[in-house]
Amino acid sequence: MSTKAVGLSRDLPAGRVMPAHVAGQDLAVWRSVSGVLSAWDNRCPHRGMALSHGFVRGEALACLYHGWHFDCDRHCTLIPSHPDLTPPETIQTRAFSALEDGGVIWVALEGEAQPSDDLSGYKPLRTMQFHAPEDAVGTINILADQPVKTLLNPWGESRTLVTTLIAATASIQAMKDATIALETLRQQVEARQ
Amino acid sequence: MAAFTLYDYVLSGNCYKIRLFASLTGLAYDSVAVDFYPGFEHRSEEMLALSPAGTLPIIVAGEQVMAETNDMLVWMAEQSGKGADWYPVATPEDAANMQQALALSSRLTASVGLARLNAMLDWPVDGAAKRAEGLKDLRELRRLDGCKWLVGEGPTVADIACFPYAALSPDSGLDHDGFPSIREWLYQIRSLPGFITMPGIHALHELRG
Amino acid sequence: MSREHALNDWYAVADANSLKRGLATTKLLGEDITVSGSFDAPVVETTDGKRLPTQVKFDHLWTTLGADPRPLFDIPEGDEDGRTRVPCGMVRVKCSPLRAVENFLDIAHFPFVHTDVLGAEPHTEVEPYKVEIRETDDEVWATKVKFFQPQAAKSAGGGITTDYVYRVPAPTTAVPPKHEAQDIITIFVQPRSETECDVWPWMALYDFETPYAELVQFQQLIFLQDRSILENQRPVRLPLDPKMEIPTRADLTSVAYRRWLKKRGALYGASEGPL
Repeated sequence: MSTKAVGLSRDLPAGRVMPAHVAGQDLAVWRSVSGVLSAWDNRCPHRGMALSHGFVRGEALACLYHGWHFDCDRHCTLIPSHPDLTPPETIQTRAFSALEDGGVIWVALEGEAQPSDDLSGYKPLRTMQFHAPEDAVGTINILADQPVKTLLNPWGESRTLVTTLIAATASIQAMKDATIALETLRQQVEARQ
Repeated sequence: MAAFTLYDYVLSGNCYKIRLFASLTGLAYDSVAVDFYPGFEHRSEEMLALSPAGTLPIIVAGEQVMAETNDMLVWMAEQSGKGADWYPVATPEDAANMQQALALSSRLTASVGLARLNAMLDWPVDGAAKRAEGLKDLRELRRLDGCKWLVGEGPTVADIACFPYAALSPDSGLDHDGFPSIREWLYQIRSLPGFITMPGIHALHELRG
Repeated sequence: MSREHALNDWYAVADANSLKRGLATTKLLGEDITVSGSFDAPVVETTDGKRLPTQVKFDHLWTTLGADPRPLFDIPEGDEDGRTRVPCGMVRVKCSPLRAVENFLDIAHFPFVHTDVLGAEPHTEVEPYKVEIRETDDEVWATKVKFFQPQAAKSAGGGITTDYVYRVPAPTTAVPPKHEAQDIITIFVQPRSETECDVWPWMALYDFETPYAELVQFQQLIFLQDRSILENQRPVRLPLDPKMEIPTRADLTSVAYRRWLKKRGALYGASEGPL
């Protein structure tokens, strides 16, 4: 099972959580206030609420439903309905390996995350979700005459997260042109569905 | 001292624009609850006399009766004395961007707004078609890539006009999973001093910790 | 299999407002039905023209798909004079009907989901309360439930500690019973399928001052805040295996509710196996 790109580092500031996806697994990817990155099963063990709707407080991610806090080690540290209780060790979230490289956030469902591509010489352009399966998107090497690298990550059966990087030396205008070309490409791909 | 009377429905995204903007600008107002659903009171004779299109919100300020949400926001910006900040149209670029964003807000109301009413209250519209239009309209918020606000350097009525239906799109099954810029912009608006919630838009608990 | 038990209950499928708008097509337990007429002459039919039994109760039209339905429960306080009765219309939610009821029984979420209305940090503690499955009526009851609330009802002034009593007379209904002069707030859940339902909130209140539209909208506000939670719980079907989702002492009502569902075989909208 491979490591997939789930988003850009700059799209996840400190103290925030975002939804993500790898190989049929919904994820809550979040960054503590001090910057620690985590990728968890998007499900609170209490009543199954999506943790990506939660809120970060310091080094913990709290669930929106009942405010249960979980720290970077996945352990439940606070159950607000019983504020004096030390939550049992067994109450934990399920975590996956995550790392950042080249401005991209990578997650692997099994084993240690390892970037699937060498991104040296490139900088992140943007992510874009196509409403089309991966093979309909195909490989994209060039946008508006600019060489690009795209990392495809299927999101469910009918969507694909496309993370695009552009030459590190590309100008602002080149980046704008490439973005527009990417949107046009998405329109074409989706129209064929 | 109430600046106006608002004919209001708690679940309406358009009515929420007025409630939210009043809170952000410190404008006081009186409120009359209209039984939009399940009573369909907005179609009563009394309401149609104020808003012939049968829409909410409606604002009454002395002799002035307003039934267009964006007109209300502009009026409120001036009334509050903060028009220069909230409705900046001094430069041609700002003026054009303002109009474009306000037009987009109307499209969002028509697409996402109706998709939401269909999903929640079984409103008789083609939900799938409205969702498809809504997706296109959400993607038009791409101007938020690299820009913190829709017009100029700070929050304006353009952001308030587009915010509710962008934020509420998940009510109709249009999630924000593929829109990191929209998520960031929503977070910034929810962080504004004086921000208030509506059902479907939660408070930022991280700010309260 | 999981549908069999559910067939023999009554379900709310319309109110006076929805009937006024003419023929409606809707779904009950996965089956398409049409609803039309009036409270005096209601017509509920399956798509192949079979007439279904109906009754009007609690300002709603009820029907059943079962051949031998259990009697529709009573809410004696609901018939009392001196109350304002408020049907609130319908809200459609993509969730299991059982998750909708369980959320209604829960108070620990008030400070986070109904912030500054039904609860607020730091007043998050849930004191121990009493839960039982009453064998004679075969209902789940929770009593002595207390919670500190900033604005518990439209007519409330400042913050107060509110007493709640919860009663579950049928798998998809939650009602508080007679307890002095207490407001009655209920939900009647119409299961469209195991993963989607139409929720009909209804209230019988001691409030003749607050404008009617405000009473309706207060309830709609609360329920729509819950909807955004309900549509994001996984698995969609309510797990009845207690190892699947971890309860705490504050969850006694939901633990009892889940056990009661399993015991009765009320499995429509539930999942028994692992995730």
